[in-house]
This record gives sequence, structure tokens and C-alpha cells, in this order.
Amino acid sequence: MTTQADADIAATAPTRGKGGRGRGPWATALRRLRRSPSAVASTAVLLTVAVLCALAPVYADFTGTDPFRSNLSGKIEIAGEQVAVMQPSTTGLGLGVTPIGPTWNPAAYLLGADNQGRDVAARLLYGGRNSLVISAAATLICLVLAGIIGIVAGFSGGAVDMVLSRILDVLWAFPVYLLAISLSIVLLNSSIALGPITITAGSLLLPIGIIGVIYVPYVARPIRSKVLALRRSEFVLASVGLGLPTHRILLRDILPNVMPTLIVFVPILLALSIVTESALSFLSIGVQPPDASWGTIIQDGQTLLYSRPMVALAPGIAIVITVLALNVLGDNVRDALDPRFKIR
Amino acid sequence: MIATILQRLVQMIFVMFGISVLVFLIFFATPGSDPAARIAGRNAAPETVEQIRHEFGFDRPLPVQYALMMKRLWVTQDLTSFVNRGQKVIPQVLDAVPATISLVTGAAILWIAGSLVIGVAAAAMRDTIVDRGLMILSLIGISMPVFWLGEVMNLVSQSRYHDTWLFSWVPGLGYTPLTASVTGWFKSLVIPWITLAVLYIGIYARILRSNLIEVYSEDFIRTARAKGLSETRIMLRHALRTSLLSFVTMFGLDFGALVGGAALLTEVVFGINGVGRLTFQALQNLDLPVILATVMYASFFVVAANAVVDMLYAVIDPRVRT
Amino acid sequence: MTSWTRRPAMACAVAALIAATAPASAQTREELMAEHRGGTMRLVAHTAAGTIDPHINYTSQYWQLYQFVYDGLLTFKKGAGIEGAEVVPDLAEALPEPQDDGKTYVFKLREGIKFANGDEVTVADVVASFQRIFKVSGPTSGTFYNGIVGADACIASPADCTLEGGVTGDEAARTITFHLVQPDPEFFFKIAVPHASVLPASTPATDVGVDPIPGTGPYMFESYNPNESLVLVRNPHFAEWSVDAQPDGFPDSIVYDFGLTDEGEVTAVQNGQADWMFDQPPTDRLAEIGTQNADQVHVNTLTAFWYAPLNVNLAPFDDVRVRQALNYAVDRDALVGLFGGQVLAQPVCQILPPGFPGHEDTCMYTKDPGTTWSAPDMEKAQALVDESGTKGQKVTVIVEDTVVSRDVGTYLQSVLSDLGYDASVKAISANIQFTYIQNTNNNVQISVSQWYQDYPAASNFLNVLLSCASFHPGSDASVNISGFCDEEVDAKMQAAMTQAITDPDGANMEWAKIDREVMEKAPLVPLFTPKRVDFVSTRVGNFMFSNQFQWQMSQSWVQ
Repeated sequence: MTTQADADIAATAPTRGKGGRGRGPWATALRRLRRSPSAVASTAVLLTVAVLCALAPVYADFTGTDPFRSNLSGKIEIAGEQVAVMQPSTTGLGLGVTPIGPTWNPAAYLLGADNQGRDVAARLLYGGRNSLVISAAATLICLVLAGIIGIVAGFSGGAVDMVLSRILDVLWAFPVYLLAISLSIVLLNSSIALGPITITAGSLLLPIGIIGVIYVPYVARPIRSKVLALRRSEFVLASVGLGLPTHRILLRDILPNVMPTLIVFVPILLALSIVTESALSFLSIGVQPPDASWGTIIQDGQTLLYSRPMVALAPGIAIVITVLALNVLGDNVRDALDPRFKIR
Repeated sequence: MIATILQRLVQMIFVMFGISVLVFLIFFATPGSDPAARIAGRNAAPETVEQIRHEFGFDRPLPVQYALMMKRLWVTQDLTSFVNRGQKVIPQVLDAVPATISLVTGAAILWIAGSLVIGVAAAAMRDTIVDRGLMILSLIGISMPVFWLGEVMNLVSQSRYHDTWLFSWVPGLGYTPLTASVTGWFKSLVIPWITLAVLYIGIYARILRSNLIEVYSEDFIRTARAKGLSETRIMLRHALRTSLLSFVTMFGLDFGALVGGAALLTEVVFGINGVGRLTFQALQNLDLPVILATVMYASFFVVAANAVVDMLYAVIDPRVRT
Repeated sequence: MTSWTRRPAMACAVAALIAATAPASAQTREELMAEHRGGTMRLVAHTAAGTIDPHINYTSQYWQLYQFVYDGLLTFKKGAGIEGAEVVPDLAEALPEPQDDGKTYVFKLREGIKFANGDEVTVADVVASFQRIFKVSGPTSGTFYNGIVGADACIASPADCTLEGGVTGDEAARTITFHLVQPDPEFFFKIAVPHASVLPASTPATDVGVDPIPGTGPYMFESYNPNESLVLVRNPHFAEWSVDAQPDGFPDSIVYDFGLTDEGEVTAVQNGQADWMFDQPPTDRLAEIGTQNADQVHVNTLTAFWYAPLNVNLAPFDDVRVRQALNYAVDRDALVGLFGGQVLAQPVCQILPPGFPGHEDTCMYTKDPGTTWSAPDMEKAQALVDESGTKGQKVTVIVEDTVVSRDVGTYLQSVLSDLGYDASVKAISANIQFTYIQNTNNNVQISVSQWYQDYPAASNFLNVLLSCASFHPGSDASVNISGFCDEEVDAKMQAAMTQAITDPDGANMEWAKIDREVMEKAPLVPLFTPKRVDFVSTRVGNFMFSNQFQWQMSQSWVQ
């Protein structure tokens, strides 16, 4: 019996743990990446986004507003005139209060205000910080878990594989939002302690954990089939035949060959996590107010879509730019590391 | 073959059982979810709440409650909602299916057509500006969160440009059943179809393109060229046909998941009363019977699609039997 | 009441609008009926409101419909504004005089009234209906009707409920006699609400869910599917017996569709595809409809308030100074803005809503204490917090996952941070927030909630929300969310309720005092009185708004 993965293995010569790495596949891959203009460009975009978001406090200082404090009765000066941040309607029956729109002046309310009279531009930067941190941490968790599960399932085979695969099936078909909703309520008055880590309500660890876990099947399945194929490849069979201990085989033969696949997943997962985080926050399960993420700002903007569309548009555009850059980078990483790898 | 099918069935039952137990346990672990107090209503006397708890059987051990609920869901099929009391759950889910099928099928036709055109065009003009442009567009499609795209579509078609000739035909949000009005049905779904299809057009077009390019390097294409067949014929009759295998596989999985309710965000944004929205509302209300029914329905489709695709694959391509 | 839980409702009386909405009086009722009778009225709502059973459903959405489908012995008058809060005889011939010091009432049943199934209403139906309230464990069975003799036994064992000695009928004399455990000034109100509707004795003693029960009003429910629609048609056996209690209606049928989004509802009404939306128009669209569709908008005051219950048994709000401080610090104008502006809400700093029995304008938590709220007093608030020494403590505000509730919570979080607390806000599903914040096991410090009247009596706010009797630690049904239990105040409330039997005006003055006294202890932060926006299509005429059940849809026409 042969598999698709077997063919893949045959195509990319297996890597052994220590010996013969030198200018191995990693260095080659890096060189390929550096030569690709789209890889360089997308990396530059990502770095710019990251730096801008990191500078959020500086920008908030510059505008002189606190993006986490309601400013419902505040006034700002535009062209020498005092203008209310929250403007009551003056036409017809005078129903409704609308926040100030974009001033296009970086000094204050560049992109206008949200429902609480807070500066959307400043919140966008702070929100980006959370979105990026959450997606990075979730990706890390997902890769570690998926790596372990995929390798164990693929290498052990038999009953262990069977059980792990079914658990992955359950996880894959599980209603994520139910888990998220109830977790966030359970955590309201009790915190979950996982060893040294304590997760409390409103903690960023909550969306991180949820997103990290739900994509495990997505990554673990390809890893499993790759390991399954490796397990039957000649060099692993040889190691087993030589009587090497299992952990050595895993570390020296399996892991280095699985690594490229895991790395290929990094940008893809980052992109997925950002989108998922925004969906969770959009359904008000993720980041909790007054804290912000791109998803929560879109949610704030949803209630202002007709009068102040910029509140929802700006974070969406930020997501599209970031995710697009990640996807372009992802393509390049895949081409560089594992050209025959297919997702799904 | 029969053994494989049986094995798959057992696996499916295992997955559905696992999910329903998990959902059940999570529900009862959530504070404030106690259905007795919510059913009793505001300002109910504690005695009334106790009475309701007893009447609905919430004072019985969890395994018994689980067994009873499963019995009412599958055997007697008279399980009713906790929120809309007296409303049977199974007809509720079945009523929501046509809207979801309408949404998903229309979007599927769009995305298959769209991705075929884009994928084939990009592969045929590989490494030209057209190819690059199409691939960037596909990537942008993949990068947009679907709920945000939906909101923007609403903004454009319902508000900003609703009064222009371009969007004046767009009806208010919501779903019109096919049986009520064919044109109404079509109009109410055009924008949701496009919104849902964009992501998949992006994904499928990219994969189709890379498959086609891969196939082009294989021997039988060279043979075909040597025979003097036209490029169009080679592309459509030979390369495309070979590349469609993985295309069909993916389609099976995605379609199954979407029919199962994965179009939740699209349905919520456009107010379409489908299975996804039903799931979402049940989750918001913590309406356990409906949650259980929709979740098991969804997992059935996800797992079934997986099984069908795996089996098809095994039939078509014997190499893949692992 | 309870009913408005689904989503914030609002409304108000703009002078110009009242003139516009007052029924055209130039023509007589008969002429109007001849001219406008007929047609189908189309209503839309985001979601259905659960069971159709009038003994169980406790939502304003359906109570509004029950007005012209079911009748009790008494009812609230189908009139505009304050008139709608008046109790009038319905199936009973007259309001009975209290006997036995207000512990006994004898009602005489009208003759010739028929249910929609053609059966005549008998004394046995009335008696069976009161037993049914307990047999189905109705939500108010233990709070409204527990004063009837024999109710205790019925609550303990609903299946065998007889109300023996409490509700007895005399077929020959067509009378029904009620015996109460003790005099109750609100008894008439309690039997005028839909939970005391008279239904056929043959109605099953379980929640009927989606299968409508025949009633006696001019309309009957024809079909009900909570995911699609509710259809009302004329009751063929209806003959008008009292214009005040149960007038005939104009439209031939009423179709209530469910499932549109709020935005979709606004568009549907604007395009004339629907005649009215149940839900509050989204704040984002208010300016638009207030300008483009000004003559289709009716704004009316609701007897309700938005408030923030403070848990008096948990730090930091176990310190009265902290509670007062927050009352001083909250900028009610800002909150009014979040709700849609001055036209749609009124800042308040007391419990009884404006225009309610026992309400006297007063505001102690403002810059210049007096009768109305003017501006927050941050200095005083800061001083009180400093004095309490609670600065830096953690406070979590629990809000509903709805736009306005979340906005209010976010604002409160901001104020609490300004006062020096480590504050956060948490939104949970609107459907479980209300039970969650009631249970003391959940240790909720401060939350955002609303209360709408069931009937116009001061006790419906003060006694229900702040008496020891409504505080049940560890239960999900403990409507005294603050956990406020003050024996002195409790005694005064009991006294006022007793006084109300003989001297309602004197009692109301007492209630005003109790209102002030409670506010000194500040177990909650009153925020604002909401007003309701009714957005109707251009073809709707004769819009009439009752303080009790809001728009009287059967009295409006669509052609």
C-alpha cells in the first residue's frame, strides 16, 4: 500500500536529524524566500502593521484621547469651532444621536468616533495589537497540539490512531460558538486553572485557547498522514529494525520531516486565526469591552453601519490587508519549503 | 466495501454521540442556563420554579435526562423547544433546511463556475499579468471575513446606493421562500450568494490553477500535443478532466459543511432563516433541544460528507487506501 | 413586568404627535367603521415570543395581542394614554363592591358571550380558568394569585388544584365569588391582566405551546408558527358588548411575520410591505426615519425605567457611600444619548417613573439637588469613594448582549474607572442575563436591567423590586437583584399597601416618601425612562396608544 504522502516523501529527500544538514533545506528555503519579491513585500507589509499597532499608545498620546474611556459629552475643535463628539439629530423629530464622522485630521478623530465617543483610529491600533497577539498565540498552541496528536496518531497506528482520529472528528464537527459562549459565561465568576496558568473572564487566553484548539484537526490530519507514510518509509523501518528507541526515532527521523509541513501552516493559521478571532468578537464572544480587537470594532460599527460606515469599514480593511499579506507569504513559504504540499 | 460502509456508520454514530454528550454537559455546566427559571418567567415565585423543574424533569439525574431527550429526539420525535414552548424541534430544523439549501446551492453554482473560469484562465495564461491579477483577486477574496463582506454588501445595496439603478431592485433583508415567489426568492438571494461564494471562488480557483499546471507537465499532455490537438482541447478535455478529482473532493466536504449550517455568519448577516441562523439563535437563547438537534444535524452532514468523499476517493484512486 | 425583556422598547409624547394621533372625532364610530373596516394588517418582529398560551406567556409582544383575543372578568380600558390604565368590567357586568373588608368580591357574568368555538361562556369556564392558572404553573401564579384562598395548596400540588373556598361559582345566579386571604388593593389589576383570561373549561391543563386556545375577543388566532408567522382573523361568534372593554376592530385579519432583522423591519415599513415593527428601530436609523418618515413615527412615554442594580451584599456596593457616589457620578444625559437622544428618553434619579401613581419629581443625586436631574457631581462622588476607602477594588458590570445595554455597561465601566475602580464589563446573552444577575451564587456586583410595569400601582416597582419577599438567595428567580432587604422600609411598604385599600391617594403620598427613603439608601442607580417609538406604514390610521398595553392595533385601520 502506498499513499500520496509516500510520493511526497520520495520527491523531497528525507532529512535526518543531525548529520548532513549543513546548508540543508532550511537555508535553501530562506534563500528562496529572500529572492521572491512578493515574499519580501508581504513581510514588509506585516512588519509595518505590527509596528503601527505596537505604537498604539504613542498615537493615543498624540491625539490626547483615551480610547478606553467613554467620551459621550466631549467636544473637539474643528476649524476653530467647538463641535460635540456625539451629535443629536436636529432635523425632523430630532430622533437619534450620531457620533462625529471622520475628520481626516490625524490630530483627533481621524476616522471619526464610535458609539461611546472614542477615537476609532486609536482603537484600531490597539485592536490590531490584540488581534495579532491572539492569532500568534493561537497559532503556536495549535501547531504544538496538532504536531503532538498527528505524530502520535500516525506513528502508533491501531487503536490509538483510531481513538485520536475520532476525537479529531468530534472536534471538527463541534459547534465552536457554543463552546465559546458557555466558556465565557462559566468564566464570569470562576476562573479555570490550567497548571500555572489561570484563565479569567475577559482574558485574552480565552479566545486564544478556543481558536488554538478548533484548528487542531485541520493541521493534525495532514501531519498524521505524513507520519503514517514516514512510518512505512525505508529509513524509518531501518531505524526500527536497528532497535533504536522510539523517542529517538521520533526526534531524529519523524520530527525533522514533519517540521516543514508545520512551518507551512504558520502563515495560513495566522490568517485563519485573525479571521476567526474577528468572527468570535463579532458575535461578542471574544475580546471583551472596553478592550478592543478588529472584530469588536466591526461589531461596534455594525450598529453604525448606516450613519458612520467608517467604523466598520476601517477594521475590515485592516484585516483584509493583514490576512492578504499573510496568505501571500504563506504561498511563498510553501513553495520554498514543501512545493508538493497541498492543504486539504 | 460493505464492511467499510458499516465501519463508517459506526464512526458517524460515535461522533454524533460524542458531540451530543459534550453539548449536553456544557449546557448544564453553564450558570444561568437553568431552563426552569427561564421557563417560569420574570418574578416567578420560587415554588413555581420548583414546580416547573419537576414537570420538565430537570430534577432528574443528567444521564436520565440525556437518555430521555435522545429518546424524544429520535424515537418519539416530539422534543419541544425550551424557549418557544410547544414547538417541536424536528419540524423546526426541517423548515429551516430549504433556505439553507437555496443559499448554499446558488452559491455553489456561482463558485464552481467562477473558479473554473478563473482557474482555467490563470493556468492558460500562466505567469502573465492576467494570471497574477487573477491570483491576487482570489487571495483578496480569501482574505475577507465573510461577515464583514456581508455588511459591506448590505451597506452598498441597502443604504448607500440603494436608490441608484444598480441596486434599486434589491429587496429588504430576509428570505423569500421559492414557493411564495420565484422572482422574490431569486432577488432576495443574489447578494447572499455572491457574498458566500467569494471565499470559495478564491480557494477553488487557486487550487484548480496549481493542479492544472501540475498536470501540464505530465506525459499524456505532451502526447496530446504531439498528436497536434489544439491547446483549448488539451486544456478542456484532458488537463481539466484530470484536475477535477481533487476539486470534487473539496466540493463534497465544503458543501456538506455548508448544508450542515456552516453558512451561519452569512445567514445571520442577511437575516436568512436557515439552519445556521437557527443554530445561532438557539445558542444565544441557550435553547438546549434546538441546539442538540441542529448540532447533530450539522455533524451528520460534516461526517457524512467526509465519509462519502473518502469512499469515492478510494473507489477512484486505489492508491489512497491508508 | 417582565415582558419587555426581549429588547428595549421606547416611546414619548411629543406635543405635535399627540394632536396627530388623536382619533378623528368628527365622525362617529359607526361611520368610521363603515369607511375603514377591512383589509389585512401586517406586523413584523425579529422573533416570536414563545408559547401562545395566555395563562403562561409573559411578554409585552403577545400581551398586546391578547387585548383583542381574550377577555377576563375585568380588563383595562381600550383607550388612549392614561385612560388605558383604567380597569373596566369585561365579562363581568360591573366592578363589584368589596365585601367582608375587601376580602370577598362577587362578580356577575354577562350573558350571551361566546368563545370562538361557538360555546357560550359559563360560570364553570371562569372557575376552571382560575384553577388552570395554577395547574399550568403560570409565571405569576405564586406572585399575583397567591392571595386567593386555597392558592397555597394549588401551588404546592398544581395537578389537584380546586381553589376550594377561594373561587366558587353559582351557575343559576351567574355569579363567581372570590375569597382572599387578606385585602388586596391591586386585586382588580391582577385579574385584568391576560394571565387571568377566561378560557373554555375544556382547555388542556398543560402549556398548549403553538396550538391556539379559543377566546372571546373580536379576533382569534388562526395559525401559529414561531419561525414564520402568527395569523389572526375575525372571531365569527363575536358581538360587541362594551366599547370600553372590548370594541370591534377595523382590519379583517392581522398577520404577524417573524424573522426579519431590525434593519429589514425598518425597510419593510418604509416600503409599505409591513404596517408596523415590534422592535425598536436601530439607533442608527432613528435620525433617518425621524426626518424622512416623521409623520409615520409615534413616540410615547413608557412606564418603565432602565436601572443598574447594585448588590448591597457585596463589596464595594455593600457600602452605602459607594452606592451614592455612583448615583452622583452617572451622567444621565450621556445615557439618554446612547438610547437615542432627548426625545426618546428622560433622565431619572428615582424609582417610580414619571406619571406613575406615587411619583413626585425629586432628584437628590445631581449637581443642585431638587426636582430634576441637571448634571453629575463628580467631586461629591469622588469624596464619597475616598471616604469609603474602596478605591482600586475590582468591579464587573454584567450587561445584556444588546446594543443599548452594552453601550450603557461600557459607559458605567468608564465611570467606575474614573472613580478609581478596576472596572470591567461583560456582555452575556440577553436570554440568560436576567436570570444570571438574580442568582446570588453568581456574585454579580452591578448589572444593567429594565423594569416595565405590569399594572399601574407603585408597589409594582418598589415592592416587587426591593422587598425582602422578592429576595431569594441562591435562586435564579429572585427579582430583588440588589438583594436589598430593609425591615423598616418593608414595614412601610406593607402599611402603604394596606392603606391603599381605603385611601389610595394617601397611600400614593406614602409611596412617594418610600421612594425617597429607598433612594437615600441607593440600592440601585436609576438611569432613564425610555420612550417607545412606533413606526407605522403610511396607510395606518387612527393610531391609539394606551399606557397599559401600548398601541391598540385593533383600533387602527389600514384602508
